[in-house]
Amino acid sequence: MSRSYLFIPGNTPSMIQNLDVFDSDAIIIDFEDSVNTFDKDSARILIKNFLTKYSYDEVDIYIRINSTDSTDFYSDVNETNDLDITGYVLPKASVEAIKQLNRITDKSIIPIIESPLSLLKTEDICKQKNVVALLFGAEDYTKELGIKRSLEAKEILYARSIIAITANAYNIDAIDTPYTLKEDDKGLFIDAVNARNLGFTSKSSIHPNQVVIINKVFSPSLEEITEAKRIIKKSEETKKGAFSLDGKMIDLPIIEKAKKVLEKAKKYNL
Amino acid sequence: MKTTAGSLESSDCLITISSSDNLKITIESVVFEQFGDQIKEVIINTLKENNIENINVVCLDKGALDYTIKSRLETAIKRMGERNE
Repeated sequence: MSRSYLFIPGNTPSMIQNLDVFDSDAIIIDFEDSVNTFDKDSARILIKNFLTKYSYDEVDIYIRINSTDSTDFYSDVNETNDLDITGYVLPKASVEAIKQLNRITDKSIIPIIESPLSLLKTEDICKQKNVVALLFGAEDYTKELGIKRSLEAKEILYARSIIAITANAYNIDAIDTPYTLKEDDKGLFIDAVNARNLGFTSKSSIHPNQVVIINKVFSPSLEEITEAKRIIKKSEETKKGAFSLDGKMIDLPIIEKAKKVLEKAKKYNL
Repeated sequence: MKTTAGSLESSDCLITISSSDNLKITIESVVFEQFGDQIKEVIINTLKENNIENINVVCLDKGALDYTIKSRLETAIKRMGERNE
């Protein structure tokens, strides 16, 4: 239940050793796109020594490994599996790729949905063991479709909807794609609100400056917290599965949603 | 034979190692006055952990912490081993 997931390059000490100052709920240490092919070994050794020496209780740490069709896949997992990390982010996700990863680790898995085929298989992907969230990778997804991304993001509306709906149906986190214009705070805010309104529970980012806005958007508001408290209080008082509050019908899904809001508020001291 | 690892970016170091008949360690650091001895100690300990006695190590340091110096040296050693295979 994280609000923000920040990617940081896996071979850059200046970023890695500051991972807890960015205020991101979760960090994704990247071994894939941001690390040159000839430096993959260097990144693995750096992260192994770093996480052996330092530990972090306040932030979830994931590693984005290279995909199963890369020669670095097994080394990425085998050389980090003993470290105190929450899990792995798996690019180019497919059911078979997740099974392959599950054969060599018991850690949590966040598959990246970044191709039309993986989008079609989203539900099957959610059913796999250790899958705790779905991450939408819109850059690769639109590249495969041969379409351009726009600020309005209409071209990814369908994919976003499928991912958010499916993740929510399987009660796992839905993580939205990064907003790539790192200087555009207003655009980021609108993009994050749009994702939240579709059912995303969090958003990933590629720049630390984006974390504050993302955390704000994906935190419950004071009004939502107050409303949730009233729902839970009335639910406990009436002891009924369904009841009326301010003329509005409240039943189990709304009570469960209120519980989630309070859980999130508690976790982030809101 | 020479292998390198790391970079000259801030908080990193560039380590170059080459075959030698004796142990030679050269350190250039922006914080040499304060941390020169500590950097040398990390290098010596890492070499010991890898059972290496004779080697030429050049460390160009840009403020790297111990774990980074150790990592870059281990990477350079691993790369030298792979080249020898």
